[in-house]
Amino acid sequence: MTAVADAHDVHVGASRPHGWKHLTAPGFVRAAWMMPLFALIGIGIVVFFRWLGHYDPIWKWETITVVAFLTLMPLGFLAGIGAFDYWAGYFIGRPTVADDHSSHGARSWRDYFRVNTDHKVIGVQYVVTTFFFFVIGGLMAMVMRAELARPGGHILGAQQFNDAVSSHAAFMIFLFIIPSFAGLANFVVPLMLGAPDMAFPRLNALSYWLLPIAGLMLIGGFFAPGGYGAGWTNYPTLSTSQPWGNVFFCMAVQWAGASSIMTALNFLVTIITMRAPGMTFWRMPLLVWANFTTSMLVVVATPFIAGSQFFVMFDRVLHTHFFDPNHGGYVLGYQHIFWFYSHPAVYIMMLPGFGIMSEVIAVMARKPVFGYRLMALSLLAILVLGFSVWAHHMFVAGMAPWLRVPMMVTSMIIAVPTGIKIFSWLATMWAGRIRLTTSFLFACGFITTFVLGGLSGIYLASVPIDIHASDTYFVVAHIHYVLFGGSVFTIFAGVYFWFPKMTGRMYDERLGRLHFWLTFIGFNATFFPMHILGLDGMPRRVYDYAPKFAGLNLFISIASFVLGASTLVFFYNMIKSWRSGPPAPANPWGGKTLEWLVSSPPPIFNFDTIPQVVGGPYEFGIPGARHAVLEPEQQLHVVAASETEHAE
Amino acid sequence: VTRRSVLQLIVIGLVAGAIATAVAVLLPWLPPVASKEGQRIDDVYWLVTIISIVVFAVVMAVLLTALINFRVPLDDDQDGPPIHGHTKLEIVWTAIPAVLVTIVSIVSAIVLADNGKASGVGRPLHVRVWAQEYAWTFQYPEYKNVSLPNLVIPVGRSVELTMRSRDVIHSFWVPQFRQKQDLLPDQDTKLIITPTKTGEFPVICTELCGLGHSVMRTSAIVKGQAAFAAYMTQAMTPKKLSGLAVFTQNGCGGCHVLSAAKSTGTTGPDLDYLAAYAKKAGKPLTGFIEESIVNPEAYIEPGCPKGVMPPNFGQTIAKPQLDALVSFLAQNGTKAEPHKGCG
Repeated sequence: MTAVADAHDVHVGASRPHGWKHLTAPGFVRAAWMMPLFALIGIGIVVFFRWLGHYDPIWKWETITVVAFLTLMPLGFLAGIGAFDYWAGYFIGRPTVADDHSSHGARSWRDYFRVNTDHKVIGVQYVVTTFFFFVIGGLMAMVMRAELARPGGHILGAQQFNDAVSSHAAFMIFLFIIPSFAGLANFVVPLMLGAPDMAFPRLNALSYWLLPIAGLMLIGGFFAPGGYGAGWTNYPTLSTSQPWGNVFFCMAVQWAGASSIMTALNFLVTIITMRAPGMTFWRMPLLVWANFTTSMLVVVATPFIAGSQFFVMFDRVLHTHFFDPNHGGYVLGYQHIFWFYSHPAVYIMMLPGFGIMSEVIAVMARKPVFGYRLMALSLLAILVLGFSVWAHHMFVAGMAPWLRVPMMVTSMIIAVPTGIKIFSWLATMWAGRIRLTTSFLFACGFITTFVLGGLSGIYLASVPIDIHASDTYFVVAHIHYVLFGGSVFTIFAGVYFWFPKMTGRMYDERLGRLHFWLTFIGFNATFFPMHILGLDGMPRRVYDYAPKFAGLNLFISIASFVLGASTLVFFYNMIKSWRSGPPAPANPWGGKTLEWLVSSPPPIFNFDTIPQVVGGPYEFGIPGARHAVLEPEQQLHVVAASETEHAE
Repeated sequence: VTRRSVLQLIVIGLVAGAIATAVAVLLPWLPPVASKEGQRIDDVYWLVTIISIVVFAVVMAVLLTALINFRVPLDDDQDGPPIHGHTKLEIVWTAIPAVLVTIVSIVSAIVLADNGKASGVGRPLHVRVWAQEYAWTFQYPEYKNVSLPNLVIPVGRSVELTMRSRDVIHSFWVPQFRQKQDLLPDQDTKLIITPTKTGEFPVICTELCGLGHSVMRTSAIVKGQAAFAAYMTQAMTPKKLSGLAVFTQNGCGGCHVLSAAKSTGTTGPDLDYLAAYAKKAGKPLTGFIEESIVNPEAYIEPGCPKGVMPPNFGQTIAKPQLDALVSFLAQNGTKAEPHKGCG
């Protein structure tokens, strides 16, 4: 063991450049001059070709923005920080070192601010970055609720309100929920598999660095003419007739989408090829199963939203007519392409959370996950069914009428595998020995709110009820029950659950409980009344409403500020515990999966020896049974124990 | 599982079910229904509500009973029993939800089919609906194509709406009718409504259509058969062209303040001060007003958003109506002192 580790240590950690070397060494200094350089090249290309073709005017902001500022400048940033250095060197024939780990691991806080190929560092980078965007998206929501506290426009103009609506959704979906799951999985999945890292560490680093680019682009869109007037759904012909700020949204989606696709490919290859010896598919923890199915969804579906936004951008910049009704374009076509991604996206935002729930509930109740195989199969069922329900977002859109009933039936059927998961978690808790940690509280909160979100989903899947409830606050309530009460609660559960593993510190359990109760109460008080508003006649995405809704809206606004304040408790707890919490043991919760068998935080290459997997991931209650062993001499003994007593 | 925890399960389930039932019955969820289609939709709504209450009660019962009975201190380190599954139980909780959603699907499909057919007295009344940023127009082919800014319909008779947008996607919704349908710029969409009550109900745009989306409202007025006939006869008699009518019909008030029309929209410039803007633009008042309607980008008052006003009023408003509108605005937008244009 030591020989390998020592060899690694020699190469770990980048040497710090001196003097003029700063300008050419990968890092923010090099990015600072490469970004304007790349932007200038982009401006040059546009101006030259417009001049060559006698286009008037030669200087067109929208085209220049797309080419120079939203495409080439980000590439300059990536080149500057060194995301392409290894590949570029390989390409021009520089000698490559097979065992080069100079970009791997974190020795100081500085290593979190550079291109780092260690999946644990990238996981932390992801989670911290996405919580930054969570705050921005949350502030947008606070601003909206302040506007909606009473009827009549008073704080924001119509433009700023639409900006807040669109960017709240865009930040929360593309820059918080989806990538924060990718971040948690980045940290945990290779550990759970017994792998030293992801399959493609450099691709993994690149995937992360695309995210801040997408985020800054969404922020930049505020300052461009028109902002995001068309909602996160960006339906044409509204999006194609907006001022040119709209291209910021189109391009931000490309960067975030590319990040998702690359990460998903990385997960697929890692999960398929890098499982430790003995880790059959039926011995994988359900979190790994969840990320396996999610990654398949991402790889197949995400290109569709990328396409839809490219088409909108082409219609605007290149004067194509994909969605232009005056030139044979097909306006509804956009919605089909968009939802063919954006419905599976709901499961991209749910399945990793399901995985987290299975881990948290099994470990905290100290019982095997009830019906493990059916739990994994129901993930696959959701994966397949998830591609057959997209048009339920379009029941009133004017699509071919015959599509309504089949899409309703598939949408209803998807409740069955989802129900299996809920009942199996409940059965896992039943007769267990439940330790009510913060992560388990969030799991219980999740089950409560997600069941409510699932039930309101039945209303919306039924075409006749959806005709009434579509595009109202009922839908706003539903998606928040699913994506906040669902996804975000599981993200919180996951962060609390693996915080000791990620930071090597324990968090404050009392503050965690306070955070849970403030969030749970604030959440329900904010979003439950929205069901009533919607059915009673309040449409979504409006800054003004009928006076009869004033009372409920004021109540919702006050509750939303409680909900907003609850995250302050969370951030205080996280920051304080990270700096000065008590040191965490390797296995604070008594988990059986592989990440709990190594120190907290794990060693720089995860495992000193390749672990041997000898049983299922949740072998609670069987004396001597283990999921995996690290020490070779123990192996024989434990294999015998687990195979004689393994049930099911 | 002890007998005590089964008893707890039942008690908690009943309490949770009772609370959910109270919430479902006592709170004012749906506005009073005013169409046949809406009555059928409400039936499906109550079916789903009953199923939801039962499912919610069962889940809460199991969750809370488990939390009460099986909780141990945080430092406990004993395992629970190694139960890996129970095939019969798993079949049950796969089959029951499958049966429930099948029932809901069948009922929904039947109601959907019924709601697609005109079920009122006599022939259905055809109305052509036009939407544009940010106004509604209702055109009556059976009544000399007269156009109204409100949907006026007779009680008891089915109305067949054929709808089209003139620019972006809009959506037509009357909560009391429970009926909603998007309007597209490139194809017609249809909706059937059979009103059962007279009265005035809001027509709401529910698809984000731009800066004036929040104010894109009008009303649906349901009249008795005789009152409807009388109203339409009167609507068909030629009237003197009124600038105020053109102003209201085209939804100008959605975005503009104009005291003479009692409108309060604040997205676009305050039209009481048209004289001031014309002076700033250095143009004669009537010429300035006409240009601003037909080609809104020609002059943008500082502080007002660009690219918001629909650019196609030159095509959608006929020349006589446009002239009437311009002279109406010139007569009423006379305030000349400098003024903050928008907001």
